[in-house]
Amino acid sequence: MPTNGDTAGAHTPLAPAVFVTGKGGVGKTTVAAGLALAAAEADGEAVFVEFGDAAAGRRVLRDRPAGLEHVTLDPAHAVVRAAEPVFGSSTLAKLALDNFAMRPVIRAAPAIRELGVLELARRLVSEHPGKRVVFDMPATGHSVAWLKVARQGRELFERGPLYDVCARIEAELLSEGRASIVVVTLPERLVLSETLGLCDTVEDEVGLPVDRLVVNRVPAAPSPQVLEEAQALRDGEVAEAAEALYSLLRIRQTVREEVMDALEDTVARHGQGRERRLTLLPLANKAPNGATAARWLDEAGAT
Amino acid sequence: MSRPEVIVCAGGGGVGKTTTSAALALCLAQQGRRVLIVSIDPARRLADAMGVEFGTQAREVALDTGKGVLFGLMPDPDNALRTFIEVLFAEEPDSIERLLQNRLYRVLEAAVPGIHEMVTMTLTWRASVEHDIDVVIVDTAPSRNAIDFITYPKRLAKLLGGRAVGWMAAMGRRSNIGIEDRMGRVEKLLVRALGPAARDVAGLFAEMARVRDRFITLNEHTSELLLHPSTQYYLVASPTVAARDDVEFLIRKLRSLGVQARAVLINSAFVPPRPWIETLQAAEGVSDALLESLADLQHEEAVRQRATEQVTASFLAKHPDLTQLLLPYIEAIEPRAIVRAVAAELGQSSLGVLSDPVR
Repeated sequence: MPTNGDTAGAHTPLAPAVFVTGKGGVGKTTVAAGLALAAAEADGEAVFVEFGDAAAGRRVLRDRPAGLEHVTLDPAHAVVRAAEPVFGSSTLAKLALDNFAMRPVIRAAPAIRELGVLELARRLVSEHPGKRVVFDMPATGHSVAWLKVARQGRELFERGPLYDVCARIEAELLSEGRASIVVVTLPERLVLSETLGLCDTVEDEVGLPVDRLVVNRVPAAPSPQVLEEAQALRDGEVAEAAEALYSLLRIRQTVREEVMDALEDTVARHGQGRERRLTLLPLANKAPNGATAARWLDEAGAT
Repeated sequence: MSRPEVIVCAGGGGVGKTTTSAALALCLAQQGRRVLIVSIDPARRLADAMGVEFGTQAREVALDTGKGVLFGLMPDPDNALRTFIEVLFAEEPDSIERLLQNRLYRVLEAAVPGIHEMVTMTLTWRASVEHDIDVVIVDTAPSRNAIDFITYPKRLAKLLGGRAVGWMAAMGRRSNIGIEDRMGRVEKLLVRALGPAARDVAGLFAEMARVRDRFITLNEHTSELLLHPSTQYYLVASPTVAARDDVEFLIRKLRSLGVQARAVLINSAFVPPRPWIETLQAAEGVSDALLESLADLQHEEAVRQRATEQVTASFLAKHPDLTQLLLPYIEAIEPRAIVRAVAAELGQSSLGVLSDPVR
């Protein structure tokens, strides 16, 4: 069963656009799918958005309810589509960008694709008023960079059509109350310390609060009674075997304690004004699908 | 210098790729080789596991390597663009100044997919010459797109050789950027869209056009290390459907680059034997609660074994020629204890690379 962190009370409600981010392999897609399924359940309709490749989403969204739309945004084609209003028409956008000289620029130059994808994301959210749109962000450190692109673009362009694109993305998609950031992490010392850095970056440089910190696959604490018994058995006939069990349980206990300390530290460090709500999801023998994640998140009050 | 042997470890997220790469490096060093492990993964995991700090220089790793030598290199991704510019414009300090002033630089600094990887490969090349390295292990970023960087230098070189750079550079040399009659239609469209930033964009392209040749040399280093026929690709998975799908994806991607994966390493595939569980189960006076914990441990093992069997069967069916190597699931507090344990397992494995001396 999931347990909430120390922070009591209900979670702040999620905004219409939810960006689920975190390192690769932490279960981002499962959490994103869980949030989208829970929203579809509660509101009748929701949208789940993936970047590039739809396989991961299909895996966790088996038996997707009719009210849940599954959208894939392809970064490779985002730029020309997003640029249509910049150039005035799709024909002019193609003329300017989809030519032998500019194609390599778009393929190689950073930030352009990201801006294109964000613009498509903005349109997607505005085309689905009243619906929760959950974005399963790409699995790298770049996903935070993605969110920063609009602000930097606005500062760079000063005015003109590209400035307008950036300003609109910031105002309509990435402003407080319109977007929620959900960070997913694992109960491992090293992954956690990176996650904390990620949260700081999102809050300080993107200017959006981290509304949820979801810690996935939290192992249960070993029973103190069993630990004590194993310790006592180390003096008996099965000393060697008892020692092996005792040291394994101690490892699990220590790892869990370290994680809990680190989590407490996170909440404490950012107590001012706003809290990062902790949601702990359990370690299960079988990887959860979207529906299971939805149930866990719901029970934890995180949806 | 003779070219070092290169092993690239790729895989999806959360499969323990960094630990596996580190273990592979340690194992090779213990066999007497001069090894360099390079992490592209913008993570502190390798640092923690091996005592390597962020930096542009390779440092010797604080692990018992026996008769071999092990260096670690982990460039800081936050400084990637800066390092890239410093390497690329080493002979043009004025250009460095101008680029750092360019407002576009700040945007690029935040979103530099590919640049970090390219810088890392350049620094790898440099470090392997400096330390006379004979095996390089590259730990890629934990993502399906992690090996996109292999083709990135080529894309960038194409850009620099392309017509857009010529236009932009020419625009940058003009004193005032505005719509001019002699411009082509596409140029006019671009200048209009970019607005006041056209000057910064043009300036950046003008600087890049200046170092095109040096860039192409850097690009060759990356290709030489990563696309050389002798470079080996190891795919790292764990016994999960997601990790298996990531490996399948990477196999297809590598094939499209004309590269055959050498082996799949399945991490955390089995729990090392625990004869003590049965000893305790047979012992007298053991409480029900303890027996239940032992049963839980056995259940965990069984679940892991079943998951591993499914993943290995699936790989075997699709890629009968692909070597699969199962690695143990190690529980420990210190990352380096895990690295040591996996290295010991790899040392006993039948993977050819681990026993073949270089040439």
